[in-house]
Amino acid sequence: MPPFARLARVAGRGAFPALLLSLAALSILAAVLLPRDAATATQAPRAAPARPAVLDAFRWPMPAWMPPPPVPDDIAMTPDLVDLGRHLFYDARLSADGRTACASCHQQELAFSDGRQVAVGAHGTVGHRNSPSLANVGYMPTLTWANPHVTSLEFQALLPMFGTEPVEMGLAGHEAALFARLAADPYYAKAFPAAFPDRPAPDLYTITRALGAFQRTLISLNSPYDRATYAGETDAMSDAARRGQALFFDHRLECYHCHAGALFSDNLQTSRSPFPETGFHNTGLYNIGGTGAYPAGGHGLAEFTGVPSDMGRFRTPSLRNVAVTAPYMHDGAIATLEEVIRHYAAGGRTIPDGPHAGAGHRNPYRDSLIAGFDISDAEITDLVAFLESLTDQDFLTDPTFSDPWPDGHPARANRVMPLN
Amino acid sequence: MHMKRFLLGATAALVAGPALADMTIEIPFVAEIAGAPFACSGSYPGLGSTATTVQLLDFRLFVSAPHLIAVDGTRVPVALDQDGAWQIDTIALLDFEDGTGSCVNGTPQVNATLRGTVPEGAYRGLEFEVGVPFDWNHGDPASAPAPLNLTAMFWNWRGGYKFLKIEFAPVMAAGMNAAAKAHTEGAGHGGPGGWMLHLGSTMCAAPEPTTPPGEPCANPNRVAVTLPDFVPGTSIVVIDPAAVVAGADLTQNTPETSPGCMSFPNDPDCNAVLPRLGLAFNAFPAEGQQLVAMR
Repeated sequence: MPPFARLARVAGRGAFPALLLSLAALSILAAVLLPRDAATATQAPRAAPARPAVLDAFRWPMPAWMPPPPVPDDIAMTPDLVDLGRHLFYDARLSADGRTACASCHQQELAFSDGRQVAVGAHGTVGHRNSPSLANVGYMPTLTWANPHVTSLEFQALLPMFGTEPVEMGLAGHEAALFARLAADPYYAKAFPAAFPDRPAPDLYTITRALGAFQRTLISLNSPYDRATYAGETDAMSDAARRGQALFFDHRLECYHCHAGALFSDNLQTSRSPFPETGFHNTGLYNIGGTGAYPAGGHGLAEFTGVPSDMGRFRTPSLRNVAVTAPYMHDGAIATLEEVIRHYAAGGRTIPDGPHAGAGHRNPYRDSLIAGFDISDAEITDLVAFLESLTDQDFLTDPTFSDPWPDGHPARANRVMPLN
Repeated sequence: MHMKRFLLGATAALVAGPALADMTIEIPFVAEIAGAPFACSGSYPGLGSTATTVQLLDFRLFVSAPHLIAVDGTRVPVALDQDGAWQIDTIALLDFEDGTGSCVNGTPQVNATLRGTVPEGAYRGLEFEVGVPFDWNHGDPASAPAPLNLTAMFWNWRGGYKFLKIEFAPVMAAGMNAAAKAHTEGAGHGGPGGWMLHLGSTMCAAPEPTTPPGEPCANPNRVAVTLPDFVPGTSIVVIDPAAVVAGADLTQNTPETSPGCMSFPNDPDCNAVLPRLGLAFNAFPAEGQQLVAMR
């Protein structure tokens, strides 16, 4: 490992003024000295706001070994902003039927996924996609399963609120009523001005900024794998999980080529990334009629680029907490991790009959690294044990991320939740 | 243009006086395939032992420890600009793919030069390594500074980074790679949809995949490059993998091995490849490296 002094020396960016350089070095120093669950970082290297950098200090709920997620230049992370976002996230009044909150498809116990095959929105509208986990979502350079243009959580928040195909929260055309509803709530009457002193009312800007800020704090980096890897607690992982880890990082299975790095995804942007990285792959889930086609409405990246060979390319999901986010794939088509592994072992999924029949391993757009492999049942068991070691129980139960509304409050009284 | 920048830098250093007697230097690189300029939109005929037409999916490499050779024969390290993006310590990532065309999971950002300073003087000759030095190669990519935090070049923890990532996709029909046609029925490895050249250190002893090795890997696999005729400001370094893979069949992959050559000692697909990177591979002795040239 490079010595710390070297890291500190190179942490700043050569082009930045000396002041910012030293601020960056200080923030790294602070991150190292502070307890591992309370790293602090300024945003100095990323934005150059007029206000003093010290006001930007925000205590990220995360260990020191990982850089915080990037924050858009027009946002200063503050506890007030995050708290407001948390209340909005759990508030079913953000929907047309008064029953659908963000949390209605993103439940903490399921790492902010919903356990359903595909999402269910306002008025019981069945969606098209499996609800993705929001763990570490602030590090994702693009949001949603395949849209390359949704590059901020703030922009993404508009899609479930106002989207009509499918309806998720059903607010299209109802924003004035939404703002009035929120403004009438005693909590929001104080919380919006506290978070936005210069723009104290509920509106699209403030709502989406607050939602983005809360989601950016959903950082999950304290699984048994992390405790074994970063805290030296070798007993945190079972022997089976460690055998599975060896398989995961072995070139026979090639898992790590796409599920790379701290988030186990080749999509990553941290506050120290020089630029975002994205990865979209066709894994041979379908090959309808041997043409490479995926089911209508689920063409992946091709829907947005119009490029035929982008058929079936979806964003590589993070594997953190994957054991609690079943079912799997963009359309929830695979129920268990064991079946997912068998899908990759076969180099693609074969559907023998029905409207989606086809041999996925012959999909012409399938990623070259989905080559297939031989694997024993015992090895599958070990690999699943490794994936289970990526479950961060603290994250699933952390009261910081839980529903802030009291029982019976209008924000939650009629709210539909995936579990109970 | 490079010449101009070089001279400009030298002049600036002169004007600044003896206290700043360094001159800036920019070392340009180009990527080519069998002598043709590399582009993500290109296809390249005649590659490998079966003269296959290929497109490329990726073209990136780490270089490190650049030195210029002074006219008196002294090896002088190039102090790379610490730019927070492409260069760190003595290491630089060269990135020739721009995320277009067949480079489907690439980045729009490209980087084709080394930028730094050397003491003012006359130089002829350039040396560097393709690879990441041991001290940096096995750290935690999550906390590493750029460019060592780019997932595209992560390998497995124990082995460090991919030093060289050049990926070929044999073209079977217009716009379609070979994945569908070459893949055999049933489970297990079939023919490759892509033929990946990934160079990295192997046989790095460590108790877990996530533990850095305590001592150098048995096969460090860093490629030493010496270009004695390199003239700063005039010469260009050429990276061309065609000769490296000339003895490999890019349409085939040995069953139960990684697609292409990923440096692993069990993979016969590397037999004809790693020696041409100047590296011994199992029983196959090193030849002269054929990846890097200059003009």
